[in-house]
Amino acid sequence: MNEIVTTTNLTKKYGDQTCVDHLSLRIRENRIYGFLGPNGAGKSTTLKMLLGLVRPTEGTIDLFSERCTPKNRIKLLKQIGSLIESPSYYGHLNAKENLKIFATLLQVPDSNIEKVLQIVRLDKHQKKAVSKFSLGMKQRLGLASALLSFPKLLILDEPTNGLDPAGIQEMRELIKSLPSQYGMTVIVSSHLLSEIDQMAEDVGIIANGRLMYQGELNQLHETDSSKSLEQIFLDLTGKEQSL
Amino acid sequence: MITLLKCEYEKTRRTYLFLTVLGITLIQLCWAFYGIYREESLKWGWMMFLYQFPLVNSFFLPLLSVVISSRLADLEHKGVMLKYLAVITDKKRIYDAKLIYGLFIVSLCNLISWSATILFGYIVGFSGAVPLRLYLLYLLFTIMPTIVVYQLLHALSLLFQNQAVSFFTGIIGTFIGLFSMFLPQFPILRLVFPWGYYGALQFIGMFGWTKETRMKNVYFSVMEIDWVAFGILILMGIALYLIGEKLFERKEV
Ligand SMILES: Nc1ncnc2c1ncn2[C@@H]1O[C@H](COP(=O)(O)OP(=O)(O)OP(=O)(O)O)[C@@H](O)[C@H]1O
Ligand SMILES: [Mg+2]
Repeated sequence: MNEIVTTTNLTKKYGDQTCVDHLSLRIRENRIYGFLGPNGAGKSTTLKMLLGLVRPTEGTIDLFSERCTPKNRIKLLKQIGSLIESPSYYGHLNAKENLKIFATLLQVPDSNIEKVLQIVRLDKHQKKAVSKFSLGMKQRLGLASALLSFPKLLILDEPTNGLDPAGIQEMRELIKSLPSQYGMTVIVSSHLLSEIDQMAEDVGIIANGRLMYQGELNQLHETDSSKSLEQIFLDLTGKEQSL
Repeated sequence: MITLLKCEYEKTRRTYLFLTVLGITLIQLCWAFYGIYREESLKWGWMMFLYQFPLVNSFFLPLLSVVISSRLADLEHKGVMLKYLAVITDKKRIYDAKLIYGLFIVSLCNLISWSATILFGYIVGFSGAVPLRLYLLYLLFTIMPTIVVYQLLHALSLLFQNQAVSFFTGIIGTFIGLFSMFLPQFPILRLVFPWGYYGALQFIGMFGWTKETRMKNVYFSVMEIDWVAFGILILMGIALYLIGEKLFERKEV
């Protein structure tokens, strides 16, 4: 299977604190990759490096089998949709006006706007200024912006943040449908194992910036059948934390 | 770039930016035109305006720049837009588009008050025709310092999420500019800070004013134009642009 994202020894240091420590990720095409780790593990920092928002201290990134350089960065990023940490929006404009600006910048047809609004079920709240949205609605708008160009790769950082149980369920079903419906590859981060467990096929687990496990989720289940998945996760991340 | 500028316009819809800016320009004009126009004033009207206006401008135009630059930047900071924009377009182009859009608005205000001045002169009945060459020079010497001041504020308001940084820099700078006009013994003040150039580039002098005769024997005349200062100003503008854009590009969001 093709690898959409490959990182080699990806490292980020802030001062003498190493937040991301020689990560070598392999993300396969048309799959959902769960990126799991406790708070402060370095998930957001890693995803920001993939998007060129943060410069790596060390290591390389290959996107779509092409080495990422400052030169081809924009070209490669055109095929990526992202939602990092919190949704981005212009608060005084409504959802449609926001998406219209993004569509213009992305050079995608306006018809995509209606499509993504429908996908995230925001089509009923067209007139409302986004600053008056609830947290969950903003999150949906963030997802809509990420989907707007129907990219090959979707990077979602804790997309269920602020959603209610029904919203989480809905988001999960939506994310699960993306690879088969639109041929997307999805990277989704979370600090909750249960959430990743229900969505992802592949998983990467990090703690303190180091990769503790990478592979198919099924295989993780099989590593120690006497333990629950929760316990395995705690063992993997806890071991690192007590070091 | 046209697309990006169109987006800038879309972003400012319903922000009352244009209304605010026009309001400030209007206040500036009322301030500048307020006065009693007696015989002497009418006689020297055109020149008198050229003599007085740099002072008014050095207060209002930097103020206008503060308002526009931080309003435009705040739009992005509030909804954490930069991290999304940086992924879908080139950060340099965002910097440029916002700069051009902001400069367009300030320059437009400049042009409005400039035309209003000439119109006003004719309506009140200043003697003679407008000395167009001098007025064009004056327009140039008003817009250029404003552009450079704007460059600085633009960089600060995009680089620092907290708009207080650009706001206070703008206010302090404005006062430095004002003081430099009253402190001709410190010419360095005018040349070091971009706000000082409204004064440094003033080219009309007033002569013959005494306590007793007041305006009676006053006359105005063209002084030597400080092209060196103008050159420094332009270099300053280029440097600020290059530095600001580079820092913005390198900034991690
Ligand atoms: N700009 C920065 N300067 C200094 N340290 C930073 C910076 N950004 C992140 N860090 C540090 O990097 C570490 C990892 O942060 P990161 O946001 O990547 O964690 P995370 O895995 O996304 O956590 P969470 O689940 O809470 O979102 C943290 O210790 C954080 O303090
Ligand atoms: Mg995070």
